[in-house]
Amino acid sequence: MQIKLRHCMRIGIAALALAGMATMAQAQSKEIKIGVIFDYTGPFAAGGSQAAAIGTKIAIDMINEKGGVEGFKIKPIYADAQSKAEIAINEATRLLEQEKVDLIMGVYSSAHCVPLAQKVDAAKKFMWANVCVASSVFKGKNLTHVFRAQVHSDQFGEASCSFLNEHAKARLKKDPKDLKVAIIHEDGPYGSGVASGNEAVCKKYGMQVVLKEGYAATSPDLSSLVTKLRRARADVILHTGYNPDITLFWRQAREQGLKWAALIGHGAGYGQFDKLSAAFGKEAEYIYNVDPVAAQLLDPKTLKPGLGDLTQEMVKRYKAESKATVVPPHTSMGFNQSWIFFTDVLPRAIKKYGGYDPEALRKASLETDIPVGGTIQGYGVKFFPPGNEMAGQNERSSPVVMQYQGGHTKIVWPTAIKTADPLLPIPKSSAYSNQ
Amino acid sequence: MQVFDIFLLEAVVNGILLGGILALLALGLNLVFGVIDVVWICYAELIMLGMYAVYYGHNVFGWPLWLALVFGVAVVAVLGALLHQFVIRPVLAAEPINQLLVTGGVLFFLQAVATLAFGIEFKNIGIRLPQLSVGEMYLSVARLIAFLVALAGMIGMYLFLTRSYLGTAIRAISQDRAIMPLMGVNPNRIFLITSALGGGLAGLAACLLVLQYDIHPAIGLTFGPITFMVCVMGGLGNMIGGFIAAFIFAQFISVGGFFLHIEWGYVIAFVFFIGMMFWRPQGILGSK
Repeated sequence: MQIKLRHCMRIGIAALALAGMATMAQAQSKEIKIGVIFDYTGPFAAGGSQAAAIGTKIAIDMINEKGGVEGFKIKPIYADAQSKAEIAINEATRLLEQEKVDLIMGVYSSAHCVPLAQKVDAAKKFMWANVCVASSVFKGKNLTHVFRAQVHSDQFGEASCSFLNEHAKARLKKDPKDLKVAIIHEDGPYGSGVASGNEAVCKKYGMQVVLKEGYAATSPDLSSLVTKLRRARADVILHTGYNPDITLFWRQAREQGLKWAALIGHGAGYGQFDKLSAAFGKEAEYIYNVDPVAAQLLDPKTLKPGLGDLTQEMVKRYKAESKATVVPPHTSMGFNQSWIFFTDVLPRAIKKYGGYDPEALRKASLETDIPVGGTIQGYGVKFFPPGNEMAGQNERSSPVVMQYQGGHTKIVWPTAIKTADPLLPIPKSSAYSNQ
Repeated sequence: MQVFDIFLLEAVVNGILLGGILALLALGLNLVFGVIDVVWICYAELIMLGMYAVYYGHNVFGWPLWLALVFGVAVVAVLGALLHQFVIRPVLAAEPINQLLVTGGVLFFLQAVATLAFGIEFKNIGIRLPQLSVGEMYLSVARLIAFLVALAGMIGMYLFLTRSYLGTAIRAISQDRAIMPLMGVNPNRIFLITSALGGGLAGLAACLLVLQYDIHPAIGLTFGPITFMVCVMGGLGNMIGGFIAAFIFAQFISVGGFFLHIEWGYVIAFVFFIGMMFWRPQGILGSK
């Protein structure tokens, strides 16, 4: 009897010990590992990737300071894609297979995003894209485990042409069908995607597309492109590029006497007004940029209560961390997409679908339904469902057209939320004015 | 499209000016290879450091531009000498592939050092040179200067190598590395001087590129591959060959890019390069 009792006690102690160990293990695993991929070095870093990475980090820090998500701390593992697609893919593989992260987040360049999204999706892992914009990431790909709340490149292309169509007669004194538009772009998925959108929509409005040409972002010389633009005598140039190709183009345009009524850039390097201004001084004035809006430019009254304060906190932390005085749109993109994931998708996945495995995250993402005004960048979030050509892409995202006026960024389109009238054509005082 | 117009002429002239930049880039690399028989894969990264030197001299230390330019040349000349003394010299007798790998390693090292030391931000010396217009044709003054400096650099190097004692010694050792020590020439000293000269030419290229391009740690990737192709097409180690190849290459890029898409200009240039490698693997003026 005594022997039996001792035996039972031993089993009981062992069971308690095991239970204790299990509890410890559970406590240790009360964290969600997220692989965050951005370009911290190489030319993309200064082109907006680092600003987006800081925005993402701020969101993760703030979520963890609030106790995490449903009791789970977020453990980010940051990886540097070095502005190279092959490094981005290798890092994603390392994060998923060696670090065993629960999902991939981030990614600045569309050239990285396109192959990464397909690779992650094929492995039935989960990816939440923060910054890359190429429509080709999703278009016709039938991705099931990749989601993006960010604006896509077709919308960039549409915004600039719609803006021109709205203002051509009143400001440029030209009917849209008489407006000569030239489209130039870096030849990766990002530039090509935006340019296709530009061409389709400008032609839809009857504008004359007098030149459409791509170039390598690392090209050492764009002088023959500038010569062709001068020969084409375009009124408006629609440009999509990274950096340093944007500054090379501006410099060679200036040297070769290229003039315009408007130069409309589309994100990336064009979103870094402080850097453009540092390099070009007053010559950076009056340039347009199509991008998801920098959250601090929006009137907080148009947003859900509390989002204005959230933006202020983001701005405060970004300035403290980067020592910058200007907060580029990329910071908002990195922060906003992360915040949407941590406050909408992840809680639902844990509460409703019992965890944060790729399937739970996928189901939770498909149920996201944030109305317009429900995010710091103004747009709402609802993802195109499976079977749709753009499955996984946010159908409620929208960019704005901004212009650099007097050292500040002003929203000039959509007219309903503008903070200034567009200076179109650009004033004669500009070195690039064709007036 | 009218085939012969002022814009075509502008493309041709721009090609000539681009050729000046490529020729200048190739000059130092060819000198080093011609004498020491080692390819500096990290050559464009030395230029990148030279650009930073000019930027820091002028924009951070507040020196006059001419002094910053001299500083840029001097810094890269010293770096060239250090590169030889501490990296190249220990592998002089090694297999060529090992030499390539070593200088390739230096390339990544310098990029990483530049990222850590100078950050990822694009820097710019903020100097705008005036436009030069001839009728409806516009030319870049910065490129015109680069072209003239390349021409002067080429002539200067030719005179130095043919008219000076040191130049004669450099040429002699490039022709027969084994026999010269028997005649009292110290090859290590000559190699060191040549490396400093090669570095100085890279510094000179940096001084001209800084007028036209933003400075960032990866700027070398923009010029590195094309510089090697120019050197190989001209005949590695042959400075005159490199000079000619630079202008051929630049015309393909500029005029090809004018008639077709700009990307096609590069495609045609690369196809020509491949064809040349079949026809004359030793390069335009290289010897078998």
